[in-house]
Amino acid sequence: MPPAEDESAALTVGADHDSNDAARKHLDEVFSLAYEELRRLAASVRRSDASASVSATTLVNEAWVRLAATPAVAHTSPLHFRRIAARAMRQVLVDLARRRHAVKRGGPDAVFVTLDHDIVADTGAELLSLDGALETLAALSPRQAQMIECRFFGGLDVAETAEVLAVSEATVLRDWRAARAWLAAELQASR
Amino acid sequence: MTRDGEPDVAGGPAARERWSRLQQAFHETLTVSADARDASISAHAQGDALFAAQLHAMLAADAGPDTLIDRGLAVAARDVMSDDAGTLPALRQVGPWRLLRLIGQGGMASVYLAERADLGSTAAVKLLHHAWLSPARRERFSAEQRTLARLNHPCIAHLYDAGSADDGTPWIAMEYVEGESLTAYANRASLTIAARLQCMRLVCEAVQHAHANLVVHRDLKPSNVLVTAAGQVKLLDFGIAKQLELATDDAARTRTGMQLMTPAYAAPEQLRGELTGIYTDVYALGVILYELLTGQLPFDLAGRSAASAEALVSAGTAERPSVVARREGRERGLGATAWAELDVICQTAMHSDRARRYRTVDALLRDLDHFSRSEPLQARPDSTVYRASRFARRHRTPLLASAAALMLLVALSTVYTLRVRDARDTAVTEAARAQQIQRFTLSLFDGTEDSGEPGDSLRAVTLIERGVREAATLGREPVVQAELFQTLGGTFQKLGRLERADSLLQQSLRARRAIGSRHPDVARSLVALGLLRVEQARLPEGEQLVREGLALATATRPAGHRDIATATSALGRVLEERAAYADAITVMREALRLHVALDPRSVDVAAAATQLGNDYFYAGEYAAADSQFAFSLDVARGLYGDRHPLVADALINRGAVQFQRGEYVAAERLDRDGMAIVERVYGPDDPRTASALTMLGRALVAQSRFDEAVPLVQRALTIRERVYGPVSPKVASTLNELGTMALRQKHFDAADSCFARNIEIYRAVYKGPHNLLGTAMSNRASVASARGDNVAAERQLREALVVFAQTLPPEHLDIGIVRVKLGRSLLRQRRFAEGERESAAGLKILLAQTSPATSFVTNARADLAIMYDSLGESAKAAAVRGR
Repeated sequence: MPPAEDESAALTVGADHDSNDAARKHLDEVFSLAYEELRRLAASVRRSDASASVSATTLVNEAWVRLAATPAVAHTSPLHFRRIAARAMRQVLVDLARRRHAVKRGGPDAVFVTLDHDIVADTGAELLSLDGALETLAALSPRQAQMIECRFFGGLDVAETAEVLAVSEATVLRDWRAARAWLAAELQASR
Repeated sequence: MTRDGEPDVAGGPAARERWSRLQQAFHETLTVSADARDASISAHAQGDALFAAQLHAMLAADAGPDTLIDRGLAVAARDVMSDDAGTLPALRQVGPWRLLRLIGQGGMASVYLAERADLGSTAAVKLLHHAWLSPARRERFSAEQRTLARLNHPCIAHLYDAGSADDGTPWIAMEYVEGESLTAYANRASLTIAARLQCMRLVCEAVQHAHANLVVHRDLKPSNVLVTAAGQVKLLDFGIAKQLELATDDAARTRTGMQLMTPAYAAPEQLRGELTGIYTDVYALGVILYELLTGQLPFDLAGRSAASAEALVSAGTAERPSVVARREGRERGLGATAWAELDVICQTAMHSDRARRYRTVDALLRDLDHFSRSEPLQARPDSTVYRASRFARRHRTPLLASAAALMLLVALSTVYTLRVRDARDTAVTEAARAQQIQRFTLSLFDGTEDSGEPGDSLRAVTLIERGVREAATLGREPVVQAELFQTLGGTFQKLGRLERADSLLQQSLRARRAIGSRHPDVARSLVALGLLRVEQARLPEGEQLVREGLALATATRPAGHRDIATATSALGRVLEERAAYADAITVMREALRLHVALDPRSVDVAAAATQLGNDYFYAGEYAAADSQFAFSLDVARGLYGDRHPLVADALINRGAVQFQRGEYVAAERLDRDGMAIVERVYGPDDPRTASALTMLGRALVAQSRFDEAVPLVQRALTIRERVYGPVSPKVASTLNELGTMALRQKHFDAADSCFARNIEIYRAVYKGPHNLLGTAMSNRASVASARGDNVAAERQLREALVVFAQTLPPEHLDIGIVRVKLGRSLLRQRRFAEGERESAAGLKILLAQTSPATSFVTNARADLAIMYDSLGESAKAAAVRGR
């Protein structure tokens, strides 16, 4: 089974209990939420507010509490919801990086671009590389790709990741180390 | 599924197996000492150079420098979001607007100065950041556009245009305001305190306009209030404004979504992520005022975490503006007493307990005005607002209580305004009077606290009774006393306490006559008392009083004066109640003309148009009625936006026209819209709510939805019996609906008793013929007819016709209907010749209507056909059938 199918199922969880509209609305909510979460994180780093960036998924947790009563989410566990949010965060972030890249490179009329090219270019390009490498990893080992998504994009800790993926914590630590090393090597190579 | 020899595609079994080996090698190599690593790598690679290289790279990366993954998500987010404009597509033109330069940037959007080549005009064009990423932001951006569209005020930057760019980025074009922030302007221009307060006044008016349109700004701060070079104040940025009726899930949204407001001006409840409302804006206005007065913010939130900021603001212990001003040498020539009053205004607006703030921006405005005119404030430390709010909170019916208190305040301030407008030559006396009335209002709330009495004693009526006692002691000020008696009487009348209203209005009249029997104020008292008589269903007395008042006003006031217009409207009202609709129409057309001449878009115009519409309606001229109601709706919306009692009235009236035309679904929709407004404004136990309930019930009944209708109308009956007593036309009209429902459900006894009681009520009230009496008789006949008692039906219908003959023009629809019904009751008694006369006459009347009542037309034709057949007139029968 291609891993992508698993992912899309995760994103539309609860949709089978609902009309398409409700599922669509739910997806909209998750993506809006991911976007706001990323903004909040970005702002916390800018302010050097360490406590805020440690709890990387404050908004997601709050949203879960709020959405738990809705039909679209009623059958989803809090952890699973965070897993869905992690996926949305990845997509939003990568989309941001891609657009930014396009504006920087492609826009001959990019009159409004007044930013620090160096830092931004690095992270944006790295994000796109990471996204590509994650796709490759997903083909090799879906579980490890999901693990990166959970931990990096979703802010899940080791125990939570183990629970979501239904493996032991030792397995998470072991898989994580190998996957991280491989991804890091890929990112280095793509520079 | 992979066959041998298939290339090693990514994700194929071979690739997976290779990844598995690579990880195995990685983990094993990690366990060996550094100098044994190369050997381990070679052993695992087994001559596969690529494998060896990959393993090597992984091991290096494992020990190597931080990557994106290690730096963390927050850093990545910061980097790709570091500059919002940077991620904007390279737009140079949106719609007709050419973007010139960036003039501002916020979390949500960037604002550009733009120009329209074809018109040469400029605008501020706002582009939404990251529009493609967040549906919630797109929704909010379009909410801002809708908000701006409904606001139209000289002190609010208004909307020109909106749309989406080619790439989907939504944009809004607004009035471009070039100016500096309110505080910067005030400081640069070294404004006096009076000038600062005048600026504040304009800001309050703009915010009040937004509130009247059910929009809460939620991000008020000096940088959102610009002052142009010409000194014009403009309120900007409704980006996080909220529309009040959408407030349902807003608490959650405010918290999780978007803490976008500016903490320095945010109310404690906003910092806590709780529900926001008018009180939130009142708070922010308080902070702005504080800053304008002192040059400083009340709280220093710099470097504080959200939690500690919230704690500080909630504690609400800002230094008093007077203290700061004294320390900073910014007293600007104002004395200690004046500064103490400014302290009170700031503290009241900025109270950390929102129930103790000014309830409305209007209230804040009034106190700013009081201050400017050196009058006593409405806010006192620990008095009015506090007590009024305690009062409201302690009881289960907060709306009723506070609405009554508010009504009184509004009534009194109206008195004040009217008086000043009317009597410029006695301005000095008037100012003294106004001040007394203010003090008086304040005194109403004194001593209400902790008396240990049962809750009921604190109800609104008690407050007003206390007012009456206070007013009684003002014997040395008879003019003020009479004014107060009329105001208090009017308040009682609005609360449905007609007897108390009666005694107060009489006292007012007596007091004024004692001053001078030909004074215009006497006319006002006469008219007020006359209208009360009308409400008490004592029509002849009412008419006499109103006519007397109108005559006196006409004699003592210049032509076209407001008092004359008001008295003319009152006369129209009396004539309407007397069912003299043709006369009422003539009078009300004059009243409407007078009001329009005074102010073409005023509340009086809306009310007069409604009244005229009612008269047309009762006269059966539905098209004319509907056009008056539509005019009234338009004026009311222009004045108050979509959610005002006058708007509700107009909606319900238009519903009544639709109902009369048989458009029941349309009627129901209009009634529901009106009902929602009325119940929200007046609460569940108010007579006006009862009216709206009745109208809606009727539209449901007409659609045979009895189960929905009956409880609504029962509720209306209970309210009205309590308010008006059991013998009142208003109770009767409710009984009429209940009777109609019972009849439709074939509950004949219940229906009969409703209509019988109605006949009694109308006889007792009108003491003579009245078309409503005829209607009740006709309806009772329908019950008899449905039971098969055609003799009783005939008798009752003939009684009804006698009444109608005395009260309605001969071609009136109701007469047509009664004659058709009479024809049928005669047919059923096999009295064909008599029946034919009635049905034919009835049908003729029905067909003359612009919109004939179809079921009666059908019935009449069917009945006529049978009767012609029975009379042997087959040609006529065929003619009736053939049509």
